[in-house]
Amino acid sequence: MAEFVSVGRSDEVAEGEAKAFDVGGQEIGVSRVDGTLYAFSDICTHRRCNLSMGGEIEGTAITCECHGSTFDMATGQVLAEPATEPIATFPVRDQDGDLQIEI
Amino acid sequence: MADRRSFVVVGASLCGATAVATLRDQGFEGRIVLIGGEDVAPYERPPLSKGYLRGEDTLEQILVRPDPWYREQDVETRFGTLVTRLDVDERAVVLAGGERLSFDSLLVATGGRNRQIGAPGAALPGVIDLRDLHDADAIRDAVQGGVRVVCVGMGFIGAEVAASLRTLGCEVTVVEIFETTLFRVLGGDIGRVLESIHRDNGVTMYFNDVVERFEGDGKLEHVVTKGGRSIEADVAIVGVGTEPVVELMAGTGLDQAGGIPVDPSLRTAIPGVFAAGDVARHDHPVFGPMRIEHFDNAIKMGAAAARGMLGRPEVFDDPHWFWSDQYDVQIQMAGFAPTWDRMIVRGSLEDRSFCAFLLDAAGALRSAVSIAWPRDVRRSFELIRRQIHPDPAALADPSVDLRTLVPDEG
Repeated sequence: MAEFVSVGRSDEVAEGEAKAFDVGGQEIGVSRVDGTLYAFSDICTHRRCNLSMGGEIEGTAITCECHGSTFDMATGQVLAEPATEPIATFPVRDQDGDLQIEI
Repeated sequence: MADRRSFVVVGASLCGATAVATLRDQGFEGRIVLIGGEDVAPYERPPLSKGYLRGEDTLEQILVRPDPWYREQDVETRFGTLVTRLDVDERAVVLAGGERLSFDSLLVATGGRNRQIGAPGAALPGVIDLRDLHDADAIRDAVQGGVRVVCVGMGFIGAEVAASLRTLGCEVTVVEIFETTLFRVLGGDIGRVLESIHRDNGVTMYFNDVVERFEGDGKLEHVVTKGGRSIEADVAIVGVGTEPVVELMAGTGLDQAGGIPVDPSLRTAIPGVFAAGDVARHDHPVFGPMRIEHFDNAIKMGAAAARGMLGRPEVFDDPHWFWSDQYDVQIQMAGFAPTWDRMIVRGSLEDRSFCAFLLDAAGALRSAVSIAWPRDVRRSFELIRRQIHPDPAALADPSVDLRTLVPDEG
């Protein structure tokens, strides 16, 4: 069963930025855009770079620093190649400052 | 009503594959034929000098789309097939063997081929150039056991191959015509930073010198230079540039040595015929006519050409972007600046952590180059595309977010 697990404090994720959290061995990126949190697999499906490491955020799009693949952090869909496979996305919430991801 | 036209794409490459994927993504339901000279589905070439060469990536991992994708998407593929002629009057391409395929719209994405060095002995076993999978396999086989390698040419291919082969334990020597690595693209200051990285990794480099001949009895033994050097070598990797594959356009006047000329929207002078990727000499709205061999450009031009084939031509004004991985260092570059007037550095060349901004005489940003500082290359895109004249002090100051230097559109 999927359940919400605490991964850290929500204030670790600044507005307009992404940060990676290790959730049971999975690297999950969490970003904050206009106050809304997004959680997604941090591993680019093209060459396995970490999206949160320097990924440029514009709206809900994040562009991988390595080779330019762009994903929608809300849906996981590929917005720009070279990646062709989407990334997984996860429900995320802020419980009184506690950052929680459903996984 | 469904669009039932017939589209042919010549060039089963990153560019060609991206074009056919875009056609289907956009809902095109007509016939698509993808033709390529190599007997394999389209793959990404950058790993051929890096991960694939080092044995870290498999062919499956570097395919643009998995093999079954083409059938699932009802794309007819003719891999391992040469196109001999374009029949403009009949609007058809002629395949080796004589089969004719007629088209309503055609994309030519035939790419490039390696320039031949033309030195005596270049046909000796052990002298290899890198273009396709077979070449990469041949290099990998030839360097087993850490042999002595000479890289002829220190452009991006030479530099990446040198780095990969050092990583594999080869002894690597470079012969380069210019004064430092990547001199023609990056200039002396940045080129010398890369030179120092290669030196630190144990590469021996001879600059301002060229190969006069390759010597050996039945196989390569020495690389002899015009400067009088005789370098012992088991393998030589030749990377001295490419030329566009334009023969398909013979008889049309478009088979030009500088590439197939296309307008800003990637249209050739022949109605319904587009060219994109390495083969296209594109009339870029910012940089002027140019032919560019970047990975990212192959994707973006392929997609733009596909939209043009569907009747939605767009002015292609992408600022161009590419990367190169050498050892644990990533270089990124945006824009196009064959020459520049002024270089502003954010960060430090000495520390190998910087973004350098190249400005023309009028102060417009033409290019940004980084080592270990990629974010500001990406943030330069809009400044370059819109030919902004940024304040040099702001460019040099790492605390200034480049996005704030872009004026509001309108």
